Order: sequence, then structure tokens, then C-alpha cells
Amino acid sequence: MAGAETVLPGGPSTRGVRPPLVEPDLDFLRSLRRQAGPDFKKCFQCGTCSSTCDLSPADHPFPRKEMAWAAWGLKDRLVRDADVWLCHQCNDCTVSCPRGGRPGDVMAAAREATVIHYALPRALARIAHEPHSLPLLLAIPFALLALALALRGPIEEGLGLAAVAGERIVFPYSVFFPHWLLNGLFLTVTAFVLLVMLAGALRFRAGLCAAERERNGPEPLRGRLASLLAALRIAFGHRDFGTCTAARPRMLSHSLVLYGFLGLTIVTLFVITAPVNPLVRESFVYPFAFFSPMKLLANAAGAAVFAGALLMIVRRLTDRSGSRGAFSDWLLLGGILLVVVTGFATELFHYLRLEPHRHVIYFVHLACALGLIVSLPYSKLAHVVYRIVAIAHAERRGRTAPLKGGIAKEVRHV
Amino acid sequence: MDDKIGVFLCTGYGIAEALDVEALRNVVTGECEVPFCETVPSCEGSDLAAMNGTIRREGFTKVVVAGISPRAYAGDAFPDGVIVEKVALREHVVGCQPPKEEDTQMLAEDYLRMYLAKVKKMAPLAPFRPAEPLDRGVLVVGGGLAGLTAALEAARAGATVRLVESTERLGGWLGKQHRSIPTKPPFRDLEETGIGELVEQVTSHPRIRVSTSATTASISGGPGLFDVTLRSTGNGKPAGEVIDTFRVGAIIQATGWKPADPRDRLPWGRQPGVILNVDFEEIVRAHGRPVHPVDGRPVRSVAFLQCGGSRAKEHHSYCSSICCLTTLKQALYLRESDPEAKAYVFFEFLRAPGLYEDFYRRVQEDPGVFFTRGEVTAVEPAPGGGLLVSAKNAMLGESLAVKVDLVVLAAGLKPNSADGEAIRALEGAKVAVVKGENEQQRKEAAEKIEKLKAHEGTEILNLRYRQGPDLPALEYGFPDSHFICFPYETRRTGIYTAGAVRQPMDGAASREDATGAALKAIQCVEMTARGEAVHPRAGDTSVPDFFLQRCTQCKRCTEECPFGVLNEDEKGTPLLWVTRCRRCGTCMGACPERIISFKDFSVDIVASMIKAVHVPEEYEQSPPATTASCSSAASTATTISATS
Repeated sequence: MAGAETVLPGGPSTRGVRPPLVEPDLDFLRSLRRQAGPDFKKCFQCGTCSSTCDLSPADHPFPRKEMAWAAWGLKDRLVRDADVWLCHQCNDCTVSCPRGGRPGDVMAAAREATVIHYALPRALARIAHEPHSLPLLLAIPFALLALALALRGPIEEGLGLAAVAGERIVFPYSVFFPHWLLNGLFLTVTAFVLLVMLAGALRFRAGLCAAERERNGPEPLRGRLASLLAALRIAFGHRDFGTCTAARPRMLSHSLVLYGFLGLTIVTLFVITAPVNPLVRESFVYPFAFFSPMKLLANAAGAAVFAGALLMIVRRLTDRSGSRGAFSDWLLLGGILLVVVTGFATELFHYLRLEPHRHVIYFVHLACALGLIVSLPYSKLAHVVYRIVAIAHAERRGRTAPLKGGIAKEVRHV
Repeated sequence: MDDKIGVFLCTGYGIAEALDVEALRNVVTGECEVPFCETVPSCEGSDLAAMNGTIRREGFTKVVVAGISPRAYAGDAFPDGVIVEKVALREHVVGCQPPKEEDTQMLAEDYLRMYLAKVKKMAPLAPFRPAEPLDRGVLVVGGGLAGLTAALEAARAGATVRLVESTERLGGWLGKQHRSIPTKPPFRDLEETGIGELVEQVTSHPRIRVSTSATTASISGGPGLFDVTLRSTGNGKPAGEVIDTFRVGAIIQATGWKPADPRDRLPWGRQPGVILNVDFEEIVRAHGRPVHPVDGRPVRSVAFLQCGGSRAKEHHSYCSSICCLTTLKQALYLRESDPEAKAYVFFEFLRAPGLYEDFYRRVQEDPGVFFTRGEVTAVEPAPGGGLLVSAKNAMLGESLAVKVDLVVLAAGLKPNSADGEAIRALEGAKVAVVKGENEQQRKEAAEKIEKLKAHEGTEILNLRYRQGPDLPALEYGFPDSHFICFPYETRRTGIYTAGAVRQPMDGAASREDATGAALKAIQCVEMTARGEAVHPRAGDTSVPDFFLQRCTQCKRCTEECPFGVLNEDEKGTPLLWVTRCRRCGTCMGACPERIISFKDFSVDIVASMIKAVHVPEEYEQSPPATTASCSSAASTATTISATS
């Protein structure tokens, strides 16, 4: 098995226990090279990267060891390493690396490799990480929706174009896209995606634990649930963004996007569950009035996501390390922006009563939203889950406590 | 005495302000009994010309100029044939002592007394002029990169060159290489060795005569007069047969290196698939790609173990400087032969000196070359074929193992040199075993033979020198004099070393080295022809005189001469080979009978100078002291510091 370590059969050699057999994975190396450039193999293990990092623990610090593993193409170690997820890619290490090894990009590449490694099916994740599959990626959700609509009848009819009659056309959305179809499709897909994600998360966790056992790592300090809760607190509280001096400005953009999405999710769930919600079942009117609390929340959340995503784009384009991010980063950012922009456009066209444009743009909006949901286990979006799993794993073993005002920090600010 | 001595006292440079010149004159004309003492306003320009006019008019044979340091004069400042001693009043008195003090005046007077004592004892120099004409040709021993370059450079500079190579073909190690490491920016791509063109240039040069399959059977004489006998190494002619005799003026030894094979020292060294880097190179050269030496199948993974896999003090304690670069190159051979191939490099220190760092980085970029520090603990057959290389303290301090088709040891360089002094000691011990005066002596001689037997039959140059048939080998067997101060110099005058025999070096350095050595050889024959000593007393025309009537044949001079100048006759009487002499004076100091002197420097002269110092009866305040300082270093330093 490529990139793996196995203890050879034949028992211990004459010189005591035989060390683990190491077999570099050349394909993995080539993919790292595509993403982090040709220079990461020039690492000479000086440790500058780890000493500039505010988040790296003192014991077996990252990204130094990850750089050594990367240089040897040891994919097996990198995809079973919680530390690559403790990094928030501020790129301090990339700026300081004396060999131009771009450790920040190597860590990002390792995270990507992890997402692909644990995805089911893996091929789908590979597609989600390759630029040349972009047209295909865009086509998939549209095809799904078209298929769903085709089940309802001829497409023209489904699009509502054939039903135009009279001087004024008033189609409620429910006629255009019946709720049973929308909800049915989205809920099914979401459930499936969540299952796949869960499987990935569990396999990732198993990998982390196995690696810990192999290197006789420290015994867990706290329970699983407590660690998970702590990890959620860290992630939603953006603690690591706050600790990492260089990443602190990103706290705002990431918070905007994260909490904006939470707001949008709440509104969406409210709408979906309205027919069975005893509190609103009778009075539920959709679309909402502009000043209804739910509409206000939805618009505020949408605006937050939009602003956050724009901030992220600006930061990526002006990164002082020269790292412009991987395709998967841009795919996620693009997807988020598409969903938000088409959402606001739908709203605007709705108020303007533009027919049938509002239906078409709503179609696009839904397709993008579906795409985003589908991409969860396969794209960078998966970091939502993997990072929490990794932080929980690290938290359980006391590895997340950052060095407060260590020597490295003083040196860095001289 | 036919000597006519004149003294010039300079009053410039602040001398007259600091000293009582009239009192100085009284020392000269009074107690030193030299009637002529004239003051001059300075020691340069028209004053110098006027001084020379006086010297010629008065017909002085010896002159003392008390003014500025000898360093301040041009070589031809004074008339030929006149002995001129310069007293550095400016530097050694005025420049470093308070003016108009009693002690300062005393110092200046003592200098005058000392140098007057010196000139009185000096005799005119008689530069060496041999009866027979000196040869200006150059012999180059060794036809590798350094030897070929030295031959070509010497010939281009006008010398006639004899190039001797012991094997059938020219080219040396470079001729056995598949490709060469990059030698020019951006240091990314392997290069053709270019050895073919170099050989062609050498063999077609009208002033170079090449003898292959030949070694030097004997070399006698000295610079300008080396008589060389060549013998065959057995290709075409019977081995040992004398094939030529000729005379040359200087010799360049460029005999190169041999690999330091560590395999017998390593518990896992002798097994199929563990080879040296030189073997790997020949395989690639023969097949165009790496193949397994046993079954001939293409090799897909190789472990390169740096420092020969054993940089141990007792085995190979110095860095050979090129093995890391060779490994980088050979890793590229493997990678270029197969995009899926893997090269593992285990090192203690990976050294790519200077701009070769760029080459190292370029190889690091290659996805299939893996570097790690680490100490290889075992190489054993892997289940299912191949070899398993285990290392500790490897990546991140952990132990690891890799499975490979081949293990290549980056063998270091050992000089292809012979230790002339050890060979001589061995010969001496052999005689002592037979002729020893008592059991103890014979036993010690036998032990010595046991210790030195590795030197048996290792002769290369076969010098007919009393101190042994080859250059003395210094640290690690490199026959180098002092690689920082005196590159190319050896402890045998007129014999220069170049290339890896002198010090581990790469091709680029060998070319440069060979060019330097060629120029040194030409310099040597030219200076020898003028009767001058070569570096470091370059231009010195004095010659040691041996008053042999009083020689006791104690052999101290022949033993202690650092340059092997002196041979002996059967009785042990020293035989001087003047052109080998560097004028260091070691023999003079070694002789218990004090029969060795130079015309301008002898035990008697130095003793007279010391005795000339006026020691006052009361000197508790400032006791006089004299120092003997090296004329090329310490004296120069004090001179410079006094005037700056």
C-alpha cells in the first residue's frame, strides 16, 4: 500500500525491533507539488515554521513534522494527523521559511488530502478538488433539479412557462416548485450527505486514534463528550483565530459567514417545518412579508455571509505570503457567493414581480444551494466537520492549549 | 681586508628630531672604526641617487644605510655587487620610542653597532650557476583531469611537457563518469564530462608528449636538472622495461585519488547489492541507466548512504567534499531513468559547498528523491527480494526502514599518494633487522616493519632522494605542504601537487588547481635558472656553504632538511643539491659542528650582532633585549605597525 507503514512479517530482526517500513507515495507527492509548489521538499527541518506559529504545541510541534512527512510523501501519516487541522493557515510559517517551503500551503494540501481520503465515494471528492471538473460540478445540481422536475411532468410545464395566461401572471412558488418536491429532494439529499459526512468523520476519528496508538501517544485526559463540547466551543467561539496573532483579522470574516449560515439554516428549517409546526401552521404565509422577523433574520444573515465572503476574497488576494489559496478554497467561496447572490436576486425579482425571471433565478438559487449541500463531505466545506473532530481529538489529549507569549512570539515581534 | 665600508645616516623622516645624529656618527667613526659616515636628508629620489653616486665614487664594497626599512626600497635601489644593509631607524626606533630620550638614542646606536658588525662579517653572494644547462620542461605524472589540465596549461604557457599515465588511457576518473555535476549557473542540469575534448587537446598539442602505460622508474637530481626514467606498466611492452629517459625542470604530481571502500568494516557491507558509488557510475555509463549488478534488471529504488556509510574516525575522518554531489547526481540518473523510481539519501551532514547548494535544492525538488539524516543500523535481505535498510535517528529522530533494490555507498576519497618517509623508514628497518647491533634493536626493527608494511611497494615517483622515494605524506596521506598558505607546494622543491591527490576536490577545483600548479612549475624553472630560491624565500640567491673538512657525518643536516635537499655519499657526508634548497637555514641550525653557513647569514654573524649590543653596567630601569623575528612575517608586522 502506497504511503503506508507496515511492520514486515518475519518477526523482529537480529537488531531488536525492526523499524517501521516507510514507502513514499509518489502520486501524493506530485499532488502536493501541484498545490504547494516544488519547494516544500527543500525543508531542512530547521523548525522556524513551528517556532513562529502561535498555535503549535511545544511537544511534537506542527508544521515541522508535517513538512518532513510531506517531503517523504507519507500520506498515511498526514491523513491521520489531527495537527494539520489545528492550523488556521495564517501563513506566518510560509513567510518565515528560509527554504521557501510554504508550510502553510502544505498543511492546506494535507487537509485537502484528508477530505478526499475519507470521502465516500472518493472519486467524487477528487472531482470536487480539480479545476477542470468545474463545469461538471456546476452541471450536477442542475441535472438533479431538472430530473426532479421532469418527474413532475414536461419540463416546459414544470418551468411554468406554458402556464402564462392573461395580462398578469401570478404564480405562487408552490405551483412553480411544489413544496413536496423541493422538501423531498432536499431532505433526501441532505440526509444522504450527512450520513456520508458522518461516515467520513468516524473513519477520520478511527484513523487519528490508530495513529495515536502506533506512536504510543499520550493517554486521553478527558471524556469524548466533554472534548467534543470543548471543540464546539473552540470552533464556534473562534478561539484559535483569536490566539493566532496573524489570523485575528480573519475572525470577523469567518464569524460573519459561519453565523450568517446558521441564521439562514434556522430560517430554512422554519420554512420547511412550518406545515407541521403547531405554533405557526395556521398563520404561516410564504413568502414572508418584508418586515416579518424571519425575513429580517434571513436578510441580515444573507448580508453577513455576503460581507464575510467578500472579506475572505480580499484577504486571499492580498495574502502577504503570496498564497492565493487552492481551487477548493475558491470553489467554496464561489459557491457561497453564488447562493447568497442568487438568493438576494430572487428576492429582488420577486418584489419587482419580474416574470418569469424570478422563477428562473430561483431555480438557479436552489440549484446552487443544493450543490453546496451535496458538496459538504467532498469539498472544503468538510472542514466544518473534520476540524471539529480533530480539535476534539487534540483537546482530549491536551494538545490544543496554545503557548501564551512564548519565546517564539517575542522573537517574532522584535 | 679589502672591504671598504661606508655608512649613511639619514636625517629625514623625523630621525634628526628624535635622535642625536652627531652622537650616532661618533659611534660609527669612533668605536666602530668606520671612517666614512655621511648624513643624507632622505633615502629616496635624488638623495638615493646621490648616495649611489657616492658609493660608486668611493668604491664601497659594503654599505650601511641607517634610515628606512629594507621593505621601503626597490630591488634595484643600490648598485649590483655592493653589500647594502638597511637599518630601520624610522620604523624600529623613531616610530615606536619617545624622541630625545636616553633609551631611544641607545637603541639607535645599538642598531648601528649590530649592522656594522653584520656587514663586516658578510661576504659577497655567489648565485648558483650549474655547469650544464638547466632544463625548462615540465613532467606531469597522472593523466586525469588535473594532470591533463596541468599539461595543457603549462604547454600553453610555453613549456614543453611530458605527461605520464600509468593506465592505457587518459581521462582518469572523469573519463569513467556518465555525466558531470553542473558546473555553471543555474546549477540544475547534469553536464557532459568534456573529458574527450580535453584529451584531444592534450594529445594534439605540439609541446606535449604523452606516455601511457608508463610510470616513473626513477627521478634523480633537482629543479632544472631532474633526470627521469620511465618504465612500462606492461601494455605492449614487458612490464618494468625502461622505455625512455629524459630531463625536466619541474614536476607536477597529479595522481588523483582512489575510493575509500568501507565495506569490510561494515557488518553488512559485503552482500550482493551493496556497491560503491564508483561502481554505480560505471554501471550507468555502461548501460545508460541504473541496473542491478547481479541480475542486470533495471533498478527502481536505491539507498545512497553518505560518508561511505561509515564516517568513523578510524576509517575516514575527513570530508571528501564531492561524495554528496556525486550522490545528488546519481540520484538524478535513477530518477531520469524511471519517473516512478525512488532514491533515498541517508546522511549525517549533506554538504554541497558554495553554489552547489543550488544543485542540492534542484535535486530536493524532485518528488522521487528522499533525504533524511540518519545512522544506518542494518542492511539485510528483504523478504521477497531486495534489501531492507534500517536507520535510527532518522526523520524526526525516529527509526525507519526502506526497501530498495540497491545500496550505494558514497565512498570517500583517498589520495593516490605514497609516503616517501614511511617507505624509507621501512627500508631502514629491513636493514636493521639484518644488521642490528643487538637483539633489542632487531626486535624493534621487526615491529617497525610490521607497522609500516602497508607502504611496501607503494612508490609512485621513485625519487632518488636520501629522505625517501616520494613526497612526504602529511595529514591523512595528502602530500601537501600547507594547503592554505602554500597551495600546490610540497616538501620537495620543484615538485608540485595538483588535484585530489593534494586535497579532496571536485572537477572545477581540480582544473583551477592544475592551472596554479602549472604556473608554479614554470616559475620554479625560471627562478632556478636565475640562481634564485623559490617560495617562500623567493629571489634569495644565497647558497649554504658546507665546510666539509670538519663534517663528522652525523647526518643531522641530511635528516632534518625539510625539503630533502641533501643526499649522502656512502659514508654519510652530505651532498648538496643546490636547486632543491629553499634557504631556510634548518641545516645551519642542525649542524653541531657549525660548518654550514650562508655568505650573508651564519652563526658567527648572528653571534657578532648580539655581541655588538652595548650592555650598560647599570640597567635595572631598562634592560636591553633582542628579538630574532622572521623576516617574512614578524619583522614585517612590526615594521608596518611602527609606521601606521
